[in-house]
Amino acid sequence: MPLTAPLRILTEDQIQAIHQAALGLLQRTGIVVKEARARRYFRQAGASVDESSGRVRLPPDVVEAALKLAPDSFVVHARVPDRSVEVSYRRMHVEPMIGRLNILDHLTHQRRRTSLQDVANLVRVADALEHYHLLHSGAIMPSIEGVPLHAAHAHGYLASVSNTGKVVKGSPRGRAIAEDCIRMAAVVAGGEDALRQRPNIFTTVNPVTPLQHDEGQTEGLIEYASFGLPIDVTSEPQAGATSPVTLAGLLAQQTADVISGITLAQLVRPGTPVWYGTCGAIMDMKVGRIALGAVEAGLINAASAQIAAFYGIPCRGTGSTTDSKALDMQAGYEKAITLFMAALGGINCLFYPGTMESALTISLESLVVDHELCGMAYRALRGIQVNADTLAAPLIEAVGPGGNFLGERHTLKFLRQEQFLPTLSNRQTREDWAERTGSATTWDQAHTEVERILATHTPPPLDPQVQTELERIVREVEARGAVARALA
Amino acid sequence: MAEHEAIIERMRDSILEADDDEAVAAAEAALAAGMDPLAALEAGFSEPIRELGEAFNRLEIFLPQLVLSARTMQAGLKVLERALTTAAREAARKGVVVIGTVEGDIHDIGKTIVVAMLRSAGYEVHDLGTDVPLPQFINVAEQTHADIIGMSALLSTTMLRQRDLLELLQLKGIRDKYFVIVGGAPATQAWADSIGANAFARDAHEAVLCLNARARNVTSRA
Ligand code: B1M
Repeated sequence: MPLTAPLRILTEDQIQAIHQAALGLLQRTGIVVKEARARRYFRQAGASVDESSGRVRLPPDVVEAALKLAPDSFVVHARVPDRSVEVSYRRMHVEPMIGRLNILDHLTHQRRRTSLQDVANLVRVADALEHYHLLHSGAIMPSIEGVPLHAAHAHGYLASVSNTGKVVKGSPRGRAIAEDCIRMAAVVAGGEDALRQRPNIFTTVNPVTPLQHDEGQTEGLIEYASFGLPIDVTSEPQAGATSPVTLAGLLAQQTADVISGITLAQLVRPGTPVWYGTCGAIMDMKVGRIALGAVEAGLINAASAQIAAFYGIPCRGTGSTTDSKALDMQAGYEKAITLFMAALGGINCLFYPGTMESALTISLESLVVDHELCGMAYRALRGIQVNADTLAAPLIEAVGPGGNFLGERHTLKFLRQEQFLPTLSNRQTREDWAERTGSATTWDQAHTEVERILATHTPPPLDPQVQTELERIVREVEARGAVARALA
Repeated sequence: MAEHEAIIERMRDSILEADDDEAVAAAEAALAAGMDPLAALEAGFSEPIRELGEAFNRLEIFLPQLVLSARTMQAGLKVLERALTTAAREAARKGVVVIGTVEGDIHDIGKTIVVAMLRSAGYEVHDLGTDVPLPQFINVAEQTHADIIGMSALLSTTMLRQRDLLELLQLKGIRDKYFVIVGGAPATQAWADSIGANAFARDAHEAVLCLNARARNVTSRA
């Protein structure tokens, strides 16, 4: 069912003003593009390019023409067909976090480095949870504990794709890494042609805000775009630190970062599916650190969704973020506020569930808790249906003053569609809560659920031939690093 | 004397209000009044900027206040430096730091905060920016007669460049010339120890404490 976003932060005039400011920045200030092929694409399209500084100034008509080429909806195909995702600026899907540097160990409660086994567990849990659709993955991690550095992406991709039937993300970090991920995705898809026709992988490209596209990520953008694979171009401004402290200024700068990246993707291959991406937040000026759980992040997300909708492009944003180090009250309210502002604001791909500590750390329990929040967000997005059946005037009349509705068929009939059934929230009496759950906290509940999933959930296995071929590629990538070291 | 005190007060205020022009004017007034530049520097500029650094560490002021005031101090310092004798300049400086984010890494913010805090603590800092090739750390350190090299790395992959620079210093036979400090999200004390760095700092405040401890050791050895 298409969703409508009830939260409007910007007026039409304000969106126009931000768009014009972004076009102005791209034309007058320009962007620094560190990758030579990308500069060539821009030059051929009519941009003015200064090769010595890498500065590219983009005429508004080039940008606007490119934005028109980006589709408003597209499908990312999952290995298990009914897990495929139809991305559109009228739907919300969730991208839970998988690959983070640290994990909060679910047995010891200590923070430690994330290993390949953790990646497998995280993906397996995300596979079991229905509101998670597009999975971030081990392929994105620059390093995975216990795995040779140069082969982290290959190991990370295999550990991810073999533990889920859902869509799995690839890395854009430099040409070779991007090529490896795409090659592995092609094996899963059944060949390169099949991959082009039925993309089963997507990636994130981060401009370096303000106004820069670095070499490695841009190489990745060109690789993914030339296969027509979906890309979210996501700027990560921190208000006051890497962008103006004013949120309007942040949005203008972010828009310039993002639409210049989207322009490149369309120049490489017209029609490349893209998301307008934001990971915008503020810097907490007293501690000097990024504040991803800030209410302003919620505002930025809702506003970004409106800007993307103005372009007719789906929007990827963040929600369920927190700066807390524990799954405590701070985590609870920050996650709820950021998730709900993003969801009600119209974000189409909601990234970051599963994280804590300003997204430095991932946690299995957090994946489970955030999934529950996502369920509530979907409920909120469905809104309130008003028609003769739901107004139920004859029913109210029949029950009459002072009656109750517990014994009515109408109640049973509409119960499931009207009410979200939480799996973690406890609504029993204090006595029952103490006796039946041993006074379990949210963390305890989530932990039990993690254990249950890990003990019982079996993801759909890969075809044995595909598995063997992917393992061969991983070994090949490992060996390539060994050769490079021997030659060095 | 009252005139001197008034000038010191002007210098202090210029730092606290981050007024570059006023810092320059007050420093010029100090020289015109025949004040000892080293004493004026200490009381008029160093003391208030130290206070701001400490206030930031206690979460009492905002980061941009510190960054702007550190920049103001640079402006005023330029005026006083002209008048310092070589000996006084040596005495005034706590250390010269060459700092940057290593090759392949564009994370800027953490390093920028470290730079501001070091400046506020009285260090002369040469900030090379981000994605800095290893030879550039060494070249600039040699040119500026630095005693400290600082490397920031935010990726577990680029962290390895910190090790590479230490090896490069060894290879060139100049390892002992520099106190090397490393930092950034993936770095740890254990990592710093394993690559033979002189210090690791978890945050900007700790970076200042590490370097101050080093300065004390250097002075007591001399
Ligand atoms: C010399 O002595 C010293 C002493 C102390 C020193 C020191 C030096 N340097 C730092 N310190 C210490 O003092 C500072 C002040 O107290 C502290 O500095 P910090 O830098 O730690 O703290 C700052 C004050 C605030 N922190 C930050 O500014 C970093 C925030 C996070 C969110 C972050 C950001 C913003 C960005 N990123 Co990046 N990014 C993340 C970060 C996650 C996080 N929550 O930290 C991190 C670092 N990024 C990561 C990644 C993966 C990436 N990023 C990338 C890009 C970016 C942006 C451009 C989008 C942006 C940078 C913007 C900029 N201008 O700096 C990419 C790499 C680009 C590149 N080649 O470098 C990319 C590879 C992403 C991609 N899509 O491929 C992760 C690294 C994981 C790992 N295993 O290494 C990451 C930890 C996020 C995560 N949780 O996975 C201390 O560490």
